[in-house]
This record gives sequence, structure tokens and C-alpha cells, in this order.
Amino acid sequence: MAHAISNFQLESPLHPKAREALADAIDQGWSDPGKLSNQNAKARILRNQALDSIAEQLAVTPSELEIIGEPLLGNYFAIAGLLHAEDTLIYSAVDRKEIFAIAQSHRKTIELPVTNMGQIAPEDFPNSAATPDSVFALQVANGETGTIQRIEELIAISGSARIACDYSSCGPRIALPSRWESAYFDAKSWQGPEGIGIIAIAEAAAWANPLPHIGAARTPQSVSLPLILAAAVALEVWHEEEKNESPRLRSLSEKLRQEISATVADCDIAGDLNSSLPHITSLSFLYVQGEELLRRLDAVGIAVDSGSACTAENLQPSHVLAAMGVLTHGNIRITLHHGVSEKEVNELIAAITKAVAELRQ
Amino acid sequence: MEEINCIGLCCPQPIIKIAKAIANVSPGDSLILLADDPLILLDLRAWARMTGNEVTPISETRFKVTRRNQNV
Repeated sequence: MAHAISNFQLESPLHPKAREALADAIDQGWSDPGKLSNQNAKARILRNQALDSIAEQLAVTPSELEIIGEPLLGNYFAIAGLLHAEDTLIYSAVDRKEIFAIAQSHRKTIELPVTNMGQIAPEDFPNSAATPDSVFALQVANGETGTIQRIEELIAISGSARIACDYSSCGPRIALPSRWESAYFDAKSWQGPEGIGIIAIAEAAAWANPLPHIGAARTPQSVSLPLILAAAVALEVWHEEEKNESPRLRSLSEKLRQEISATVADCDIAGDLNSSLPHITSLSFLYVQGEELLRRLDAVGIAVDSGSACTAENLQPSHVLAAMGVLTHGNIRITLHHGVSEKEVNELIAAITKAVAELRQ
Repeated sequence: MEEINCIGLCCPQPIIKIAKAIANVSPGDSLILLADDPLILLDLRAWARMTGNEVTPISETRFKVTRRNQNV
């Protein structure tokens, strides 16, 4: 894939196949699938085909799927649909901010710490919370550091607590665990369109729409049909590409980590690649300001993210880095997307090395 | 004990200053860092871990920093 600039930020353009599908879908999938005419029947068929395809790729049944048009509400639906007022909500210090917001408005909560590798230690899960009166918000992998949790060990130790999985950062790179009640996916994680959140609700789960509602619909159903169709196509082609891309990106991430460690002193790498997603790397450099580093890289056509306080609107550093005890200043976050070339990664390594050296002078 | 005053400075400036200052003391000796960046303890602890030195908070803005690494 050709890049106008070398994009190592979290966001990536819509997959080209999904872009084609979106253009077709805007022509064909504009009518309301809930109405009765032939036009509507056509839209209904397209919608059902898309849901069947998404369900197959995520290894769930179509009836277990709900699609929403506001992805930031995805974790809310997944968790609040299981959570009763007297239940205990268990979550971790590296969860997404939306989870903290849910916890703030709930009475009984337990926040689990993480190790310096970003993982929850199973022994930190309190025995008293391993009951059906608990909901465990389990972030499968972290979007800032790529750290994957010890999912099956955590599920085993959580006893009969109900499990709401957050797959928004990793998508189907990681299979659903042996036991789950709800799971939340974001189509952006597979180069799908912005604005599509997918909630899987296990058939047997006691889940109820947490929003005020009339009727039997479990979610608002106000989502754009063309975007659902584009998300389904993106997922299908991304999944196929991922078979080859995953090991290739892991190898590039390994090269990135090794070469930066070897050439740049005082670099703090968050987490271990062996327990991380293959495409995310978080690097913090001592004595360097994150914003300056980001701007230096931008000046040479390289776009990265940063978790440093100086790059955040609220001037707070990444709560993930803070929870892991990783250096919060001089941080950059690198995402390797499908199609990134080894040449681009070499250029990235050279640009980081040069920029850090110059900033430390 | 020498004091390094970084009140009003944001990270990474206090870390840069303490790193320079600690290089001029003998292993086992300490400095006092005064810093009011709300993030200072997070980064000071990470710096100490990365460079093999030791940090002991005395108050919210006062930290004892001990050189442990021979090769700072």
C-alpha cells in the first residue's frame, strides 16, 4: 500500500476494498431495512448478509450481534447491560477512560493494578469478587502498549463473575475466550469505517439494554447501513491479510525494538513483545519532551502518537504508562498497519535515532 | 545536602537537571530535588529504575535522590 506520509498513528485509512464497498452500499443500501417495500427488502438482505459475515469472522452467531453507531458507547453497552446496581464492577488501571467513567457512576467497584509489563496478576483478583454478583470488565489487549492480558488465567480465577471483554483495540487478532458474556469490537481495529461499534452478547447471558427504551430492540438501531456493509467487507479482507501480516508485523516490531534499544540509550519500552499485539510499540526516551519528538518526526513526514502529558489536551500523561510505571515523558507510540514496508520502518528507526540525539544535545 | 531547585519546571527538565547533578556526587551520596510538576514522582521513579539510582519521596515536592550507579 502506498503512503503519502509514513503513518504510524493508531488510525488508518479505510481499507480500499471497504471503500469500494461503501460507495456501492451508498447506492444500494440507503433504504430502511425495517420497512416493507422491495427496496426495503433489498436493504434488509444486504444488512443480514453483512451481519452473517461479521458474525462468522468474529466466531459468534448473527443473533449474538448488535451494531451501534457510537463506538464510544460500546463498552457501556457491553458492561452496563450485565451490571445491576448492587453488583461489583471489577476493572483494571489500564482500561479505557470509558470504563473509568462507568466505574465512577457505580457504587461498588474494584480497580485492579497491573504489573510493570501491563498485565493484571491473577492473584490480585479478589476471591470475594469471584461471584455471580460481579462483572469483570476485561480488556483483552491494550491499545497504547499492545499488552495482552493473561485472559484464560484471569477468567479461571474470576470464578462465576460475568465477563465483559473489551476487544476494541485488538479486534479478532485474539479469539474470544472460553467464557464470556459480552464483548465489544470497534470496526476501526480492522481498517473498517469510523462509527461502527459491534457488541457480541452471548446467547446465555442475562443482558438487558441499559438505555431507557420502548420495545424489544436491544440497542438503538440507528446505525448507517452502508457503514455496516463497509465494516463487513473490511473485516473479511483484513482477516485474510492478517494471516500473513501478523507474523510480518511482529518481525518488524521486533526489529524496531531491538534496533532502537541498541542505538538509543535510555529508552523505556512498555511491555514485552512476547505478550503483546504484533503491531503496537510504545517507546519513552529519557531527557526528551514527547511533543518536540513528535514534531521532529512530523517534519520529516512520519506521523506517530504520544502518551506524554505535553501532547494531551488535559496535560495529563497516559494513565496506562503511569499505571505500568513506565517513563511518561518523551513517549511515542508506533502502530504498524497492514502494508507497511520494511523500508518505512528503517526510515522510522533512523528518524527516531536522529531526533532523540538532536533533542538531547 | 545539596538542593536542586526545579520548582516551576515541567518534565523532562527536572529529570535532566537531577541527572546532571547526580553525576557530580560520589556513589552512595545524595541530593535533594525540589520539584512541583505533578508528574515528577512518576518520572523520577522511572528514571531511577532505568539508571540504577534511588529516589525517596520526603514530601510532595521534596525528594532525596541517591547515586547508586557507578556509571551515571
